[in-house]
Amino acid sequence: MTDIAMPGAPRKGSLLVRDARTARRNAAEARFRTYGLIAVLLGLLALVVLVVSIIGNGASAFRQSYVTVPVTLLEEKLDKSGTRDPAVMAKVSTFGYAPLIAAGVQDAMDAAGIEIEGLSTKGAGGIVSKDAPAQLRDFVLSNPGLLGQTVDFTFLASGRIDGYFKGRVTAQTAALDKNVSPEQLLLADALKEAGALETRFNWSFITAPDASDQRPEAAGLGVAILGSFYMMLVVLALALPIGVAASIYLEEFAPKNRITDVIEVNISNLAAVPSIVFGILGLAIFINFAGLPQSAPIVGGLVLTLMTLPRIIIPSRAALQAVPPSIREAALGVGASKMQTVFHHVLPLAAPGILTGLIIGLGQALGETAPLLLIGMVAFVREYPSPPIDGIFDPATALPVQIFNWTQRSDPAFVERASGAIIVLLIFLLIMNLTAILLRRRFERRW
Amino acid sequence: MNDLALAAKTEAALKPKISAKGVDVYYADNHAIKNVDVNILDKTVTAFIGPSGCGKSTFLRCLNRMNDTIDIARIEGEILLDGEDIYDPKVDPVQLRAKVGMVFQKPNPFPKSIFDNVSYGPRIHGMARNKAELEEIVESALRRAALWDEVKDRLLAPGTGLSGGQQQRLCIARAVATAPEVLLMDEPCSALDPIATAQIEELIDELRQNYSLVIVTHSMQQAARVSQKTAFFHLGNLVEYGETGHIFTNPEDSRTEAYITGRIG
Ligand SMILES: Nc1ncnc2c1ncn2[C@@H]1O[C@H](COP(=O)(O)OP(=O)(O)O)[C@@H](O)[C@H]1O
Ligand SMILES: [Mg+2]
Repeated sequence: MTDIAMPGAPRKGSLLVRDARTARRNAAEARFRTYGLIAVLLGLLALVVLVVSIIGNGASAFRQSYVTVPVTLLEEKLDKSGTRDPAVMAKVSTFGYAPLIAAGVQDAMDAAGIEIEGLSTKGAGGIVSKDAPAQLRDFVLSNPGLLGQTVDFTFLASGRIDGYFKGRVTAQTAALDKNVSPEQLLLADALKEAGALETRFNWSFITAPDASDQRPEAAGLGVAILGSFYMMLVVLALALPIGVAASIYLEEFAPKNRITDVIEVNISNLAAVPSIVFGILGLAIFINFAGLPQSAPIVGGLVLTLMTLPRIIIPSRAALQAVPPSIREAALGVGASKMQTVFHHVLPLAAPGILTGLIIGLGQALGETAPLLLIGMVAFVREYPSPPIDGIFDPATALPVQIFNWTQRSDPAFVERASGAIIVLLIFLLIMNLTAILLRRRFERRW
Repeated sequence: MNDLALAAKTEAALKPKISAKGVDVYYADNHAIKNVDVNILDKTVTAFIGPSGCGKSTFLRCLNRMNDTIDIARIEGEILLDGEDIYDPKVDPVQLRAKVGMVFQKPNPFPKSIFDNVSYGPRIHGMARNKAELEEIVESALRRAALWDEVKDRLLAPGTGLSGGQQQRLCIARAVATAPEVLLMDEPCSALDPIATAQIEELIDELRQNYSLVIVTHSMQQAARVSQKTAFFHLGNLVEYGETGHIFTNPEDSRTEAYITGRIG
């Protein structure tokens, strides 16, 4: 008996002396902590760089330069017939209005006593956005009674002038730029001095529709935000009930057999399918086969629903699984039916997890670009879609697509716009994630 | 007339509340209960004892068809409640479970208020016509579970905030509230301290006046204290069944003797 070596002979040695093995283990732990810290710091650094560069580039998109000019609405130019009939007046195109604005700028210069060598009246008018004549025309057509009077208008300054105040354009670059001249910059400075030009918060960046390549200063996110909002409505209306119903069925009711195994594997695989594949699918099914309109939020919403469904089902099932079986037994034990058990006890307890999954899924859908490019949401849309439900069939674009679109344009002012749009998108995502956290806090139950 | 009434009464007393005949239970290929015959009487506490894994819980769960929720479980044989086969295809387990209530090993109140815990069963079974009736049911159930005095001032507090013993009595109240005829308890005291255990045992003794109780326990002292009948299970077999006093003093089977003297278990 005694000659069998005891595997665990009592330990000898002082507790005050650290043995080599312990020292090695502690060193390994210290190393691991350092690596972890470095990894976290790298991640943070990347985040900071990203946020700083986006805000640095994009924050200025929320401020815009505006010029206030007195425009004399000359009757002989705008309503030669003198009938005040809007149908007749509509024959005058925006080209007829541009000279009036240029004259207005000239008047403003004269009033403020500004004189600039080598700047024609037409050149002075160039500091106003190319969008201004259309704005003026709309105003005149809806207020024909004001013809013949002089009215003060606040127009957007042109993109180059705006860029000058944001540091993007200088006298040197202006000399080489056919869209702006150094004299116009001088005029802008002088007008600012005189109080006729100011840079202020730019709501129309959020509300206005997109504008063409030539007038970045007028481009806004209105249609894109509406389009994204409508798509989220479609996704919410479809993916929430379908996703929750599917996960409840799979988790609580479906028999565990081959078929459900296959379904399960397929759902996991679907969550990993690249989103552009859903775009191709949407193009083939919803547009080519079902004949739904291109560029419409309904199609985008359907495609995003397909993409989001597995991403909602998976966390929903996890949330249902996390409800302790003892709760189900308790309910069944007092004679609740399966359905009562699920809806009275299991679902309320899983709700925070399901909601979180839903909101994260929606957030992913909100930021998704690739599938939308394929179904034509990249189109240039200036008309706001009508209010829901009809509006989901009207052409619209989406926030991430709008960002993509602006980055493709040549005018550097669009870089600022794109970064500004990214800020808007990030704010929306942040709000959604905060909602998810708040909901989880609010509804979380401990047992 | 008098004789007849008396005869009917004795017959009712002798007629088993639950009668199991040739019950076999399989979990996939695992034969967990082997040909068990047992008659459980009304207004009696029946204890199931036996070593861990011998099938006590499994058999108990057959009595209110809780095993239906386990996909791989398969049951053969016949279990009659008041002479009706509870595995008859016409029987809805939901109705059965209102008649045969269950209390589990770990207290499992719903994460809702005390009132909602107790009123849930009566509510889903439509036992109360109005709020006042429901409140009455809740109060009497809590009184029966000897919990009323402790919680009457905080019926709207969460049931999960009670102590372990109180939670278990809440679960008993919840089971009692659906007015069952049989109450199944699976090791109801195993998660409780001795004082809470003593309270529950006292409660079990009182409940015996109105219900047929079946209690699974791994404590032989508890079985001896609370039960009138004892069934000893071993490896899925019902080895011995009889008067508790008889089983503990005069076991007939050598395995029973080995178990109650602590040699197997
Ligand atoms: N849900 C289940 N699935 C599969 N096997 C089970 C399940 N529950 C119990 N068993 C098996 O049935 C046998 C009896 O278990 P159980 O009734 O829980 O025993 P006891 O309650 O007497 O300890 C054991 O072999 C156990 O492994
Ligand atoms: Mg057990």
